[in-house]
Amino acid sequence: MKILLIEDEPELRKSIKQYLHQEGFLVELATDFIKASEKASDYDYDCVLVDITLPKGNGLDIIRQLKKNHSKAGIIIISARNSSGDKITGLDLGADDYLSKPFDLAELNSRVKAVIRRRNFDGNTSIVVNEITIIPEQRMVKVNNEPISLTAKEYDLLLFFITNKNRVVSKNAIAEHLWGDDSDQIDSHDFIYVHLRNLRKKLADKGCRDYVQTIYGIGYNFKVNG
Amino acid sequence: MKLINKTILYYLLISLPLLIIAGFISYHLIRMELRDGTDEALKKEKTNAIKLIHSFSEPHNVNLSFDSLCTIRVTTAGRTGEVYTDTSIYDKEEEEYVLYRFLRSYYSSGKNNYLITVAKTTIEEDELMEGIFSTFAIVIGFLVVTFFIVNWLLSRTLWKPFYKTLSELNTYDIKKHEYHQFQNETTAEFNKLNMALSKMTEKIHSDFLQQKEFTENASHEMQTPLAVVKVNLSLLMQSPNLKEEEMNQLQAIENTLKKLSALNKTLLLLTKIENNQFKENETIHLNEVVSKSLSNYADLIQAKNIQLETNFESNLTVEMNPVLADILLSNLLQNAIRHNQEGGSIVISTKGNTLSVSNSGEALTISQQELFVRFKKNDGSKDSLGLGLSIVKSISSLYGFEISYDYSNTLHTFTLKI
Repeated sequence: MKILLIEDEPELRKSIKQYLHQEGFLVELATDFIKASEKASDYDYDCVLVDITLPKGNGLDIIRQLKKNHSKAGIIIISARNSSGDKITGLDLGADDYLSKPFDLAELNSRVKAVIRRRNFDGNTSIVVNEITIIPEQRMVKVNNEPISLTAKEYDLLLFFITNKNRVVSKNAIAEHLWGDDSDQIDSHDFIYVHLRNLRKKLADKGCRDYVQTIYGIGYNFKVNG
Repeated sequence: MKLINKTILYYLLISLPLLIIAGFISYHLIRMELRDGTDEALKKEKTNAIKLIHSFSEPHNVNLSFDSLCTIRVTTAGRTGEVYTDTSIYDKEEEEYVLYRFLRSYYSSGKNNYLITVAKTTIEEDELMEGIFSTFAIVIGFLVVTFFIVNWLLSRTLWKPFYKTLSELNTYDIKKHEYHQFQNETTAEFNKLNMALSKMTEKIHSDFLQQKEFTENASHEMQTPLAVVKVNLSLLMQSPNLKEEEMNQLQAIENTLKKLSALNKTLLLLTKIENNQFKENETIHLNEVVSKSLSNYADLIQAKNIQLETNFESNLTVEMNPVLADILLSNLLQNAIRHNQEGGSIVISTKGNTLSVSNSGEALTISQQELFVRFKKNDGSKDSLGLGLSIVKSISSLYGFEISYDYSNTLHTFTLKI
C-alpha cells in the first residue's frame, strides 16, 4: 500500500511517516507543491495525504490534478486552517476525508485505512482478527462467526482498537474518535470506561479473548500478537 | 443644558450690567435734557414777564397764573441775578406731590425793581427712573425672546450637521460597519470635526482588522506546532519500556496538550464568528437541531442519570448558518449536562419565539454578568475552558438573538429569544 504524504513541516512529516510505516504502508514524501504535483502525476498511490497550505501552491490544486487524471487514490486533507469553507471545497473536489491539525496518529491511521478500504474493495470487505470479524459496510461484528450486537459507540471503539492493534492509543485519542469536537466538553474518560466495560463483556460472552490491555495512566493497547 | 441655551444665558449675563450702565447714563442724559428744556421754557416765560413789566404804567404785583406760582412782585432792594430751584408742592386736585421748577429772577426796569417768579411742572426723579427701568425691562424681555427664537432657528440649521454626525457616531459599530466616511460640511468647524472623526474611525477600523487578523493567524500558526507535539507524543507512547512514572508524565502532557488544542480551536472559532466568516445561511428548524444534539448526548445524559424532559410548544425556524446553529445548541446542552448533578434534570422547551434550557445544579459562585465573559467559570468547573457560554453569546449576538440567564429553585435556565 503506497501513501503520498504532502506536508511542509519536517517534524510532522517524519512522525507521520514513521507511524504509517510501522503499519505496513510505503510512505512517499513531498515537501512542497511542485514536488507533490510531480509525484502525484508520475506514480499511483492508494492514499494521498495533503496539507492545504503548502509552499509554492495550494493543496486543493493537487486534489484537482488527481481528479483530472482520474486517480483512484483516496484523498485525505490534513489542514491547520480548520475552516469549514476549505473542508467543503475539498470534499466537493473529491477528497474523501478532512482532518484538522492537531490530530492523533491513531486517528489518522484509522482514517487512512477506512479510505483505502472503501476505495479498493468498494466497501465489500471484512477485517479479520483471530476470532473477530468486522464487516464495516454493514457495521457488523462477528465473534467465532456469531454476530454480536454492539451499540454505535461500542462498534466505533472496537473498530478503532482493531485498526490500531498492537498500538498504545491514549484515552484522549479514543475520546476524540468517539465524540469528535465534543470530547473537549465532556468528561469523556469515564464514558470510555463505561463503553469499554460493556464491549469487553459482550465479546467475552461469545467466547472472545480479552485483547485489550490497560496501559497505566495513558490508555489501552489492543494486543493481538504475543 | 444645551450649548445654545448656555450661550443665551451667558449673553444675558453680560448684557445685564451693560443695560444697567446704559440705564444710568440714559437717566442722567434724559434728566439733563429735560432740565434744559424746562429752563428754556422758564426763560421764555421770564422774557414774557419782562415784556409785561415794560407795559406797566404803574409798578404793581401781578399773578401770572391761577395757582399764584408765577408772579411779578415789586421789590425795594436793588438786587440782580436769577436762581433755579426745585420744589415739591402738594396738588389738591391730583392728590399728590408735584415737582415744580422755579426761576426767580430779579429785574430792574430802570426806576423800579421786580422779582419775577416763573414755575413749571417737571418729572420727578423716581418717576424718571421708573420709566427708564420699565423701558429697559421691556428691552431685556424682547432680547431674551428674540435670542431664543433666533437661536432655536439657528440651531436647527447651523447645528444640523453636528447632530447628524452625532447620530452617525451613536450607531457606529466597529464590529459591523466597514470604515465610515463622514460627509463634508459647509461649516468649517464641523467639516474639521468630521474629517477628524473619519480619520479616527479609519484608524480604529484598521487596527481592529489587524487585531482580528492577528488572533486568527496566531491560532492557525499554533495548530502545526501542536500537531508536531501531539504526533511525537503518540510515538513516544508506543515505547515498550515505559516506567509507571513516565507514563504518568506522558498522560499529564497529553491532557494539557488536549486542553491547549481545545483552547486554541475555541478561540479560533470565536474569532471566526466575530469576523463573520460563517456566511452561508439556511433555514434551520431549531427543534430538529435540539433533537439531533440530544441523541448525540444520550449516553452522557444516561450515564449521569439525568431526567430529560422536552416540551416543544412552538416550531422555531431561523435563517442562520447550520454549523453555528449546531454549535449554539450543543454548547447550551453540554452546559446543562456538564453542570448537572448525578440524578438531576434537564428541561428543554420552546414557547412562542423562545427556547429555554434548564438544568438542576448548585447556585453560581460568579455573578450573572460574568457568566458570558470569556474564561470566567464557576468554582469547581476546573476542566471547563470557560468559553462555551461566550460562544453562545457570540453566536446569539451575531444573529440578534437575546440570551438570558435565570436561577430559581435550584434550576439554572438559559433562555434564547429569537
